[in-house]
Amino acid sequence: MILHGVRAIYLRETLILRRKLVKTLLASAVSPALFLLAFGYGVGRGAQVGGVDYLAFLLPGLLTMSSMNQAYSIATEINISRFYFKVFEEYLLAPLHRWQIIIGETCYGITRGLIPVVIIGIYSLLCGVNLQFSPLFLLALLLHLAIFALLGFIAAMIVKSHSDQATINAFLITPMMFLSGTFFPVEQMPLAIRAVASIFPLTYSTQLIRATLTPEATVDYALFAVLGGILIILFLMAKRIVAKVEI
Amino acid sequence: MICAEAISCNGRPCEIEVQGLTRRFGKTLAVDSIDFRVGRGELFAFLGPNGAGKTTTINMLTGLLKPDAGEVRYQGERFDPHRLAVKRLIGVVPQHNNLDRELTAAENLLIHGRLFGMSGKGLQQRIGSCLEFADLTAKRDTPAGKLSGGMKRKLVIARALLHQPEILFLDEPTVGLDPHSRRKMWAFLRRINQQQQCTVFLTTHYIEEAEALADRVLIIDQAKIIAGGTPEQLKRSAGNYVLDIYREDEVQNEFFADRPAALQRLEQLDTSVRIRETTLEDVFLQLTGKRIAP
Ligand SMILES: Nc1ncnc2c1ncn2[C@@H]1O[C@H](COP(=O)(O)OP(=O)(O)OP(=O)(O)O)[C@@H](O)[C@H]1O
Ligand SMILES: [Mg+2]
Repeated sequence: MILHGVRAIYLRETLILRRKLVKTLLASAVSPALFLLAFGYGVGRGAQVGGVDYLAFLLPGLLTMSSMNQAYSIATEINISRFYFKVFEEYLLAPLHRWQIIIGETCYGITRGLIPVVIIGIYSLLCGVNLQFSPLFLLALLLHLAIFALLGFIAAMIVKSHSDQATINAFLITPMMFLSGTFFPVEQMPLAIRAVASIFPLTYSTQLIRATLTPEATVDYALFAVLGGILIILFLMAKRIVAKVEI
Repeated sequence: MICAEAISCNGRPCEIEVQGLTRRFGKTLAVDSIDFRVGRGELFAFLGPNGAGKTTTINMLTGLLKPDAGEVRYQGERFDPHRLAVKRLIGVVPQHNNLDRELTAAENLLIHGRLFGMSGKGLQQRIGSCLEFADLTAKRDTPAGKLSGGMKRKLVIARALLHQPEILFLDEPTVGLDPHSRRKMWAFLRRINQQQQCTVFLTTHYIEEAEALADRVLIIDQAKIIAGGTPEQLKRSAGNYVLDIYREDEVQNEFFADRPAALQRLEQLDTSVRIRETTLEDVFLQLTGKRIAP
């Protein structure tokens, strides 16, 4: 079977995830709850954004951001398994093409990214906000998660140590969280920041996922093409990088 | 000086052939144009002190590092890590026990088997027999992180054997084991070599390990191979008998081909002298002028 490598890697990652599922669930429930309290009930209470209540604006943003964080977090895990436990060697020694490692890990990142979706789904019920979980949303979500899992994978392959990883997070992931339209519309921000936001993939996936979740909104189908394009570029990058990787 | 024996295959078909293998890390020359051959079914030891280049060599032989120069052939075919068939021939036990600590012993083997395209009943049977071979049947469902050091080492070896490789690489298989467990590990490695008909390539910095286990030994120091042959050949090339001559602040060694020659010399000396048979350690000392013991 040609995909045995993908399945083996996915099996390994999810077996480990299962061992710490409760911890992961609880940990990924905390930060969106805090953001919801601070922004939704603190700053933005009673406000209207883009024709909807602020909470109905914020929840899809939080869903996108938290699921990005989970999908991207495979970077740290791959890093530890590569530099510290050295389990990653097992993948490099196995008779499989290296793109299978990329796909196996990306599928795992997507799986992790689904955890916050469940959590935000529950929060939205508690807040009385109606989110529309449609097939179109699912497609947007999959593209979004695959992009950030791939980014996490690439980050893990190019860093030389664990502390490099923290640097990438500080300069790329955290700014992305705050400038990509999670908490307020990108259009409200100064031009310079809008320019920065326009290079963040999260800006596009937030816009698309928010539109597919909000019953009143219209979906800009061009965004699917944008995300699809980003995905292809990242996959090709990952493929080049992983081909050169040494232990 | 390289013994002629080191670059033949010891009268067996050639399993591994290495020519001019070289690798740098920045300015460090980790492995400097080494050549050797390993015959099928041999138990072959790569002996050298810390930093000699043993791990770097294994990593190049298994495709984890790219050589800067030179080539590796397996069964006559040029090694290309992107060709998958050759990877099935190879089993690797790295220096570091790279087990998934959260997963049980059996799960660690399961993942390895899946990575090698095994599945179903065949895989389950193989897991059972590898655990049994490594005396770990009782620990089947214990998380790998909770095994003792010796058990972890054996589990890593069992994992490397799971897909029935023809060549097994072991990087310092007995490091961190107590003397009793080390002897048991030696017996285990001999069993692998004989029962599984596996070519075994191991590295070690313990001279007595190479001497006790290996059909042939290759000595590497500072990135270069400095001698090779069977332990007997190596000792013969230095001289089968040695005199420890106790000078004021040091012990000098003199080597002799046979006992009478050594005794003759002993008569002429008026300091305190001891006569004994040459060990592999003496050979190493003579070649490098330094001790290898940890
Ligand atoms: N990834 C690396 N980056 C830089 N230098 C390295 C790297 N790996 C090995 N070296 C250097 O290459 C040389 C050989 O190292 P290697 O690990 O092959 O030695 P070894 O014989 O396995 O030693 P030990 O018995 O300590 O395991 C050493 O000088 C080491 O510092
Ligand atoms: Mg080493």
